[in-house]
Amino acid sequence: MTGKILAGVLGAACFALAPAMLHADPQSDLEVYQRFFKEKYPDIPFTQFADGAYALNEQMRENWEAIEEFPPYGPFVDSGERLWAAPFANGKGYADCFPDGPAMQHKFPRWDKEQGQVVTLSLALNQCRETHGEKPMKYKGSPLVDLLSYIAYQSRGKKINVVVPKDDPRAMAAYQKGKDFYFTRRGQLNFSCAHCHFKNSGMSLRTDILSTAVGQTTGWPVYRSKWGTAGTLHRRYTGCNKQVRAKPFKRESEQYRNLEYFHTHMSNGLALNGPAARK
Amino acid sequence: MKGRYAAAAQPRRLATGSLLAVALFSMVLPAGAGKADRAEFDRLHAEAEQARKKADSIGGQWRDTAKFLKQAKAAADAGELDKAMKLARRAKDEGELGYRQASSQKGNVQIPSYLK
Repeated sequence: MTGKILAGVLGAACFALAPAMLHADPQSDLEVYQRFFKEKYPDIPFTQFADGAYALNEQMRENWEAIEEFPPYGPFVDSGERLWAAPFANGKGYADCFPDGPAMQHKFPRWDKEQGQVVTLSLALNQCRETHGEKPMKYKGSPLVDLLSYIAYQSRGKKINVVVPKDDPRAMAAYQKGKDFYFTRRGQLNFSCAHCHFKNSGMSLRTDILSTAVGQTTGWPVYRSKWGTAGTLHRRYTGCNKQVRAKPFKRESEQYRNLEYFHTHMSNGLALNGPAARK
Repeated sequence: MKGRYAAAAQPRRLATGSLLAVALFSMVLPAGAGKADRAEFDRLHAEAEQARKKADSIGGQWRDTAKFLKQAKAAADAGELDKAMKLARRAKDEGELGYRQASSQKGNVQIPSYLK
């Protein structure tokens, strides 16, 4: 009897983890992932997934809304505004690299055909600095986080629209690498990102609630009470990897930029709402 | 247990008990533990470092492996060789497991069936 039950459980597990068609196209992926969460949470309006775990729990949402009345990320936005306006040593500034202004977060991450790589907003800001003879910023803390906070604030309401161009197979390869990263088991706990943020989303992990994969990239940078400061999406990737006891990759490494490409694509159609406050 | 079976069962219990004791003893005290010398530690530490690097080369290093290696070295330098050996063994195990994990995932990433 026990043997039969065990065989049944193992059979079901094998079926559940059967290798899928990994090389699906991004548009199909998008439809599948978003449909999954719409069906899992039929009472939550799709736009609300942009609020992360606060979309899933009423009490946490109320606390979060109270925090947003006096947002802890305010000083970062103010500092970022000053940095945006400050000229480089050659008299040029960020506005010379980004003539459409700071409301541009929705244009990133993007595939850059010339460079043959995924360009994130952080990387683009540093490339701008280097073009004008400035030292690149460190991918941790200020001033990068301040600038990102200001840009995010200016970009609120713009919809995420990550494009994977079909005319460059390298873009598809980068998307695929990001997807592989998301579903790869790693670390001593042998977890992938997907283990926590698809079927187990909404479950409690100690005092936290696991957020949904869709909507996780809308609010960056985030002021996390745990950090006591604002930080980038790549800082959070580092934390996630450490939580499953894997050695994290470097911020803005190819691995994390490809991951951001895939991860943000999942949220296409959602409005940006950063900077945000999180536990 | 009573009657004629009691006497027959006694040696079997003793034998089982002895086997268990040996198994537990060998798990708790791996070969060489308690009489480690510095040369033995250095060899194990080098092997563990090699295992860590191999795992890292394919993105499979675990979070604490490098920390265990550092702690092992510090313990050895402080003359705590048994502790150092234990930490180095742990680091070596993690290196080997991390490599096996990353190798098994490469080209074999599983997408849950509910996301098809």
